[in-house]
Amino acid sequence: MTLTQKRIIILLVIIVIAAVLGRLAVRAVMNFMLGGTMFGGNFL
Amino acid sequence: MNREKKKDRVMWGFIYVFVFIAAFAGSVIFKMTYNPYGSEFSVHWDNSVGIAYTDISYDSGGANKFDLYVPSDNSKDSYGLIVYLHAGGFTGGDKSDDTQILQWLCGKGYVTAGINYTLFSETHPDASVYSQSIEIRESMVSVIAEAEKLGYPIDEMAIGGGSAGGCLALLYAYRDAETSPVPVKMVFEAVGPSSFYPEDWKSYGLDKNADAARELFGTMAGKEIKSEFGTLEYDEEMKDISALLWINENTPPTLMAYGKYDKFQPYEGSLRLLAALEDNNIPHDYYLCEHSGHGLQNDNKVYVEYMRKILEYLDSYMPVN
Repeated sequence: MTLTQKRIIILLVIIVIAAVLGRLAVRAVMNFMLGGTMFGGNFL
Repeated sequence: MNREKKKDRVMWGFIYVFVFIAAFAGSVIFKMTYNPYGSEFSVHWDNSVGIAYTDISYDSGGANKFDLYVPSDNSKDSYGLIVYLHAGGFTGGDKSDDTQILQWLCGKGYVTAGINYTLFSETHPDASVYSQSIEIRESMVSVIAEAEKLGYPIDEMAIGGGSAGGCLALLYAYRDAETSPVPVKMVFEAVGPSSFYPEDWKSYGLDKNADAARELFGTMAGKEIKSEFGTLEYDEEMKDISALLWINENTPPTLMAYGKYDKFQPYEGSLRLLAALEDNNIPHDYYLCEHSGHGLQNDNKVYVEYMRKILEYLDSYMPVN
């Protein structure tokens, strides 16, 4: 695996993690204000 | 060479951080703006669908106004009226917040109305759930008269609402239906409080603080609560604003949705409502959003089912002629 390929994989992993955390952050704030669980129901 | 490598590493470090922030922000924006329901519960509003008449007064108070949406087809002998009451914790909100659902239901062939009521505020410290429910009750004659004036005679109605609007919708359907100018065929509501028992209102700490419960419920009822909690006298004092206590065999069919983790109105209260409807054999459907709070925000599938059920109820109990 070349260095460039490694960097692309790392970038993809970072994007996925950031996207998941972004959605979870919104859900956490909404739950804090309105009530609700962090998991279950809608996807994230 | 080493220096070049180090520079490269630092640059990629910045790229990773930037990409993380951009993806995180994009995800937040998407989650906050995405409409999971598409156009299923809305209509492209123009003159081919209907006409809206806004800010029609029903009384002298500044807030005593309603919006009326009438379908473009005015050829029928009579129409069903759907009133939808806005949310806002009895202290905020406006009928314009519900434009989408009012237009959507008008597009199904009904006359629809959003009604404002005097909100509890510094300028209106005497406003209460009770006074608001009376304003809604008194408004109905004007709403129906205005529809008739425009060429849409009303012969039956349904009422709905969300949160505070749900509470007021239940009160009208259960307490005031007998004196309604037209028969109330059904009620639909989401997250509206229907009873006021301190042991249910844990998120406010009212289960452990009787004085706070007395103050909050007294403010909502618009009077001083003198009796002991858990007594028949207390029920009698709170009956004016407790839809639960008006349920009997004549109660209209009820469609409702609640969140199990609601911080604003207790889930336990919705169980009391459910039990009372079951005990009195009232046709009803209860949608529980198992992962949600007051916004029913984590259970889109359940919420969609609730919204679709509104149309099923209308088809069953108040079909378009």
